[in-house]
Amino acid sequence: MEQLLEILNDINPSLDYETETKLIDGGLLDSFSILSLIPELEDAFGIEITPIDMVPANFNSTQAMWDMIHRLKEE
Amino acid sequence: MAYNSLLYLFIFLPVVLLAYQLAPKNFRYKVLLSASYVFFLSFSGKLLVYLLFSTLSIHHIGLWLTSCKKDFLSASHAPENKKAEKAAYEAKRRRILWLGIGLQLSILLILKYSGFLFENFNLVLKAISFPRLLPAMKFALPIGISFYTLQAISYLIDVYYEKIEADDNLGRLALYLAFFPTLLEGPICRYSQTAEALCQGKPLEYKNVTYGLQRMIWGLFKKLVIADRLNLLVETIFDTPNHYGGIIVIAGAVLYTFQLYADFSGCIDMTIGTGEMFGVTIPENFRQPFFSKTASEFWRRWHITLGAWLKDYIFYPISLTKFVKNLGKRSRAKFGKHFGQILSSSVALFGVWILNGLWHGTGWNYIFFGMYYFVLILIGNLLEPAVERITSSLRIDRTNSLYRGFQTVKLLIIVFTGELFFRANNLTAGMNMFRSIFTGFHWSAVTDGSLLKLGLTLPDFIAVFFGFIAVYTVGVIHERGISIRERIAGWNVFARWSFLYVAILLVIVLGAYGDGYLPAKLIYAGF
Repeated sequence: MEQLLEILNDINPSLDYETETKLIDGGLLDSFSILSLIPELEDAFGIEITPIDMVPANFNSTQAMWDMIHRLKEE
Repeated sequence: MAYNSLLYLFIFLPVVLLAYQLAPKNFRYKVLLSASYVFFLSFSGKLLVYLLFSTLSIHHIGLWLTSCKKDFLSASHAPENKKAEKAAYEAKRRRILWLGIGLQLSILLILKYSGFLFENFNLVLKAISFPRLLPAMKFALPIGISFYTLQAISYLIDVYYEKIEADDNLGRLALYLAFFPTLLEGPICRYSQTAEALCQGKPLEYKNVTYGLQRMIWGLFKKLVIADRLNLLVETIFDTPNHYGGIIVIAGAVLYTFQLYADFSGCIDMTIGTGEMFGVTIPENFRQPFFSKTASEFWRRWHITLGAWLKDYIFYPISLTKFVKNLGKRSRAKFGKHFGQILSSSVALFGVWILNGLWHGTGWNYIFFGMYYFVLILIGNLLEPAVERITSSLRIDRTNSLYRGFQTVKLLIIVFTGELFFRANNLTAGMNMFRSIFTGFHWSAVTDGSLLKLGLTLPDFIAVFFGFIAVYTVGVIHERGISIRERIAGWNVFARWSFLYVAILLVIVLGAYGDGYLPAKLIYAGF
């Protein structure tokens, strides 16, 4: 989780990733930020993110991203 | 039978509401479907066949995708063959999906774009003195084809990605594509947003009907007071562009932008209001776009459902292809994280904006319009770190009102310029009009009464100004997160109904209709 927080802070350090639950729905992370985030997540966790994973529910909070990473690792 | 016509407001809609309420619960969606097809027939007659083809094809292909999955899951797979069989199964599903998308797109391409393609191909043939030219092609377009085709494609992709289950109820799918309030100008709904509510057969409720009515009156106010009243002036300037320059052309671009916003968002208000009456929540298409700070934020608040569609079904899928991912890796290594990422995502951004331009129409001015925003958004993304550095080194607070004012002025200039080319009769006319702003600029146009010789009188301008103030005030209130309708709902009966009557009276008094006015056709219905 710490590694994920580090990546997120690198993308946009002004957000509180530990408590925020509407990163996408609240317009805090735009599509460009998400695209910057994807290669970082793929490289750091050895996963492959596909269009099917591109739903707000997977990126609205750090926990949601963490759950998605775990799910993709298992697949 | 447009949403602002007397036939729709006083006959069609009340009859449908009555028939819906009187029908048994399980039959209500059939009332809505019949009404939707009657509405479609009133515009496009026998072209209904195209809509029926889209409906039947997505119904069949959705079920085919599902049965393909069931077959794969129920079959036994030897461990040594499982990988190859899964790859074959996935390839088959992809082929089915592409067949479905291809069917939808081919109808749209032939009906909407073949004339434009042939015309430009003939220009090339003429240039090389080729002895024979292609025949001129022009097909009649069914109403709403640009909107329902995108809905049909989103349904297929969502089924393919298993975000939704394929619907075996043909009637529900047909209603999802053809629901009459959304036929003319959208918004582009997703199956998961409206299909279930459309078929639930919810009885009419006092709150839904009054809320829907309020929303429709607000839409009518924007349409009749601003859009229709400005139409004569906008048509005069854009249809005889060589007669005008300087301030008159600027006024044309500015007033056309407000006309377009009032027309499109007013129509969407009527659409959402009608949906609300039947207990169906139709997605919002505007969120105070002129309060945006940047061009990309503007497009997240203007025609929201088109932007979201392009993001989900074009931008992300292109960005996540192996080619673009590899390009991203190479460009990040060469140009650094920020610039490298922007370079690779510009491939997907280009796809989004060329399609955004082409979706609106088949003129080169629409392609220019798309490329205009592609370049501006790309530059905005590239310069963002530099702007951040400069503002922080100069200790400029980017949240203070002066900086926000600068951002608003910059955004308005960008939007007005874009709309000038968007509305121009063609790209050459747009270029000439843009040039004439500088070559024909005279301050005297403000004082010599030139603006009053364009078809609108001083009382017209006053009515439009009043409408503009009303729209701006409502925008400010919504921007603060206050729901005006919830506030009104808290008033006593007398105050509530007085407000409603005053609103209707204002539409009647300030609206432009009758002799001497040229009502604007619903602008986005033409796309």
